[in-house]
Amino acid sequence: MSEQTLAYIDNNSIIHRADALSKVAWVLVVVIATFQFQSSIARGIMLLALLFLAVFVAHIPLKAILKVSPLIFGVALLLGIFHYAVTKGVTPLFSIGSFVVMKEPLEDGAAFFFRLAIMVMASFMLIWTTDIRELMTGLVRLGLPYRFAFAIFMALRFLPVIQQEVDAVRAAHAIRGRAARSQLSHRIRLWQRYLFTVIVNGLRKAENTATAIESRGFGAYPDRTYVKDFRWSVSGILLVVVFLLFGIGLIVLERQHLL
Amino acid sequence: MNLAKNSDALVTFERVTFTHYDRSAPALSGIDLSIRRGTVTLLVGPSGSGKSTLCMLLNGIIPHLLGGELSGKVIVDGHDVAATAVKDLAGSVGLLFQDPESMFATLQVEDEVAFGPENLRQPPAEIAERVTAALDYVGLGALRKNLVWALSGGQVQKLGLAAVLAMQTPLIILDEPTANLDPATTHSVHELILRLRDEGKTVVLVTKDLDEFMAEVDDLIVLSDGKLLAQGAPRTVIEQHGLEMLDMGIWLPEPTEIGMRLALEGRLPTAAIPLTVAEAADAFQGFRFRTQAAPAAPAAPGEVLIRAEELEFAYGGHTKALRGVSFEIRQGEIAAIVGQNGAGKSTLSKLLVGLLKPTGGRLDLFGKPARKWKVQALANEVALVFQNPEHQFLCDSVTEELAYSLLAQGVDDEAEIKRRVDEMLARLDITETASSHPFALSAGAKRRLGVATMLVGGRARLLIVDEPTYGQDRRLTERLMELINNLRREGITVLMITHDMRLVDAYIERALVMADGCKIFDGAPGALFQSPEIVERAALRPTSLRRLVDALRGCGVEVPDGLNTVQAFIKAMV
Repeated sequence: MSEQTLAYIDNNSIIHRADALSKVAWVLVVVIATFQFQSSIARGIMLLALLFLAVFVAHIPLKAILKVSPLIFGVALLLGIFHYAVTKGVTPLFSIGSFVVMKEPLEDGAAFFFRLAIMVMASFMLIWTTDIRELMTGLVRLGLPYRFAFAIFMALRFLPVIQQEVDAVRAAHAIRGRAARSQLSHRIRLWQRYLFTVIVNGLRKAENTATAIESRGFGAYPDRTYVKDFRWSVSGILLVVVFLLFGIGLIVLERQHLL
Repeated sequence: MNLAKNSDALVTFERVTFTHYDRSAPALSGIDLSIRRGTVTLLVGPSGSGKSTLCMLLNGIIPHLLGGELSGKVIVDGHDVAATAVKDLAGSVGLLFQDPESMFATLQVEDEVAFGPENLRQPPAEIAERVTAALDYVGLGALRKNLVWALSGGQVQKLGLAAVLAMQTPLIILDEPTANLDPATTHSVHELILRLRDEGKTVVLVTKDLDEFMAEVDDLIVLSDGKLLAQGAPRTVIEQHGLEMLDMGIWLPEPTEIGMRLALEGRLPTAAIPLTVAEAADAFQGFRFRTQAAPAAPAAPGEVLIRAEELEFAYGGHTKALRGVSFEIRQGEIAAIVGQNGAGKSTLSKLLVGLLKPTGGRLDLFGKPARKWKVQALANEVALVFQNPEHQFLCDSVTEELAYSLLAQGVDDEAEIKRRVDEMLARLDITETASSHPFALSAGAKRRLGVATMLVGGRARLLIVDEPTYGQDRRLTERLMELINNLRREGITVLMITHDMRLVDAYIERALVMADGCKIFDGAPGALFQSPEIVERAALRPTSLRRLVDALRGCGVEVPDGLNTVQAFIKAMV
C-alpha cells in the first residue's frame, strides 16, 4: 500500500460532494482572479484561502499536502528566483552586506511564485476532491463525445498507477547499490532507468487496459448509459460564487489601495 | 474432439491455426475443440503453450486488436469470431484478465462493475440491480463505495469477477484468477465457479497447474506448444496423458502424481489413479509404510543475522501493518514467511532490506539497529528479489546488468568483472542470453537474472525471494528452487515469501506465519500443518499430501512423519 498523492482522497467533505464541473469552473475563477491581482498581498491571501479550504474544509491530510509541496512551492520558488534574477531593478529596498535587494525583481519574483503556486494548488485540490468519473460524465453532459471525455478520464486515472510504478522501481533500484563513482552520473543513470522502466511498463499497462475495456464493450455504440449521471450541485455552485465574490473583493480592495 | 459437431456446443474451434504478427512459429496450430454449454472447462498448459492466445481468440481480441494470421474457424455463441467485432462479442464473452487491476477503468468498486453494462447501453435501473447482485455474489457488497486501489489482492480478483458477471454473458473466461491468492481465497474462488455452473453459465478456467479442483470440472483441455494434447473428462485425460503432462512441467495434485507413478511401476491399476485426497486414501489403504531414516538434523544454528523484538510498522500513521513481531534469523537457515494477502509479509521484507524503517520496537540487522543502516550499504549484506524483476534492471544487456552489481560493490578490475559475470551466467544457465536486453528475456530467465544481479557480488549473506512462483510454471519454479538450494549449501541464508504450501513443505525448514500484522506461528512446516486453528487463521491450507497422510492415519494406516514430497511418500510405500 503506497501513499497516493496524485489521486482522489476519499473524504466525503462538502468540497468532495461538490460537482466536478463546478470545481473546474472554480479552478478557472481562482486562476483568472490571481492573474488580475496587482499585489502579492492579494495573491498571498488567495493562496492562504486555498490552503485553508484544503485543510479545514476538504480535510485533506497535511501529509498529502506536504508530500506534493515540492511540486507546489518548490517549482514556484524556482520560477520566482529565476524572475528575480532576470528582472532589472531600479529601486533599492534594503541591503544585506554588499548585496542590494531591489524592489522590482522582488515583486516580479513574488508574483510568479504566487501565480504558479496558486495554479498548481488549485489543480491538486481538484484532483484530490474529484472522482474523475464524474468529471467525465460532466463533460459528456456538455456535449463532448464520450470516447473523448473518457480519454481525459483514463489519462488522469493513470496518474496513480504510474506513481505506484515509480515507487516500486525506486525501491528496487535503491537496493541495487551505486555503481558510478560520481553521484551525478549515478543519478542520471537512475533517472534514465526510471523513465525507461516506467514508460515500458506504463505502455504495457495502457495497452492491456485498452484491450480490456474494449472487451468490456467500450465503444460498442456511439453513446452509453450512466448509472450515476452528472448533476449540478448546490455546494459546487456555492463554491464558485464564494470565490468569485472573494476574488472580486480582493481586486476592488486592491484598486482602492486598501491592500 | 468428436464433440465439435455437438449441438449444445457454445464454442467450437475448427482447424484453428494462429501466428502472432511478429513471429514465424504459430502460437496455436491445428486446434479442433469444443466447449459445451453449462460446463466448467480447465485449460491447462505450461508457460508459453498458447493458453492466453486461445482465450483472446474466444473474445476476438485476436485477431481484431492484436493482428496476426488466423486460419480455420472459431465460433462462439453462434458468432464467427473472425467476422465479429470485439465489442459485439462483449455480450457473449466475459474475460477476466490475468492482471485484473489493468482492466479496471474507474475509481470506485461499484462504478467498475457498472462499466461494462453501461457500455452496452443497459438501462441504469437494471444496471444498478446487476451491480448489487454481482457484488453480493462475490462477497464485496460491503465494499461497494471503496476505491479500487485500496483493495487487497484477493478482493481485486473478486471485483474483476463481479465486473465480468455483471455483463451477464453466457461464457466466462478466467485467466489464472488464483495465481496470486492465498490458499483459502483460491478455494473460495473455486466454489464460486461451481456455483456459476449450477446457474447455467459456461466457465473456462485457465491454469498452469492442476489441483484437486480438477475432480469437480467437466472437461480438461491440455495445450502443449500450441497444439492440443488432449481434451476430455479429467480422469480420462490424466489416465492417458498424465505422464506427458508431468514431463511438460505441469504439476498434478500430489495424490494423482503418486497414483500415476505407482501405476507405471505396476503397483496400482490405472483405473485407480486418484484425483482427490479421499480417492487416494481409498486407493492406498492396502499399502504399508516403512519408517524413514530420520532426516538429517539441521546444522547447528549460526550467528544471529536478524533480530526483531516487538517490531511494529504503520504506513503513514494509519493502521498498523506489523504489531509486536519478534523473531531471529540465523546464518544458514531457510525459512518462509507465509500468511494471507495483506497480512504484513511484504512489509516485513521491506523492513529487512531497509526500504522501510520500523515505527516501533527493535530491529537489528547484522548486528546494527535498522535505523542506522543506509539502504545502499545494507544491499551488500542482504539481497531481495522482487516479484517483478523488471523493476530491478538498470542496464541494456544481461552482462552489463551483472557488471553493474559488481561495480556497485566496489569491484572495478575489468578482468575480474568478466570472470565473475561469465561464471554467474553459466551457473544460472543464461549464458546464451548474455547480450540480450533484460526486458526481452523469458519470464523464467528474468527471474533468474533477478537472483543473479543480487548475488553476483558474492557478499550478500541473506537472500529474500518474494513469491518465487510468480509468473512461472512449476518447471521454472523448480529450477529456481534448485538454484536457491545450491546457494544455501554455500552458506547463504534464505528467506522466502510465498503462498505455495507445496514449496514450503518440500524445501523450507521453518515457517513464520503472519496474520493481521502479528506472528502467530514460528516452527517447522510439519508442526504448522498439524495446527488446524493456525492454518485457518492465516488462510492457509495443508498440501494435499499432508491431507492424504492425515486421511490414511484416520483409516488406521500407520504413516510415519516426514513424508513431505511425492518421492519420499512413494519411497516409503511397501
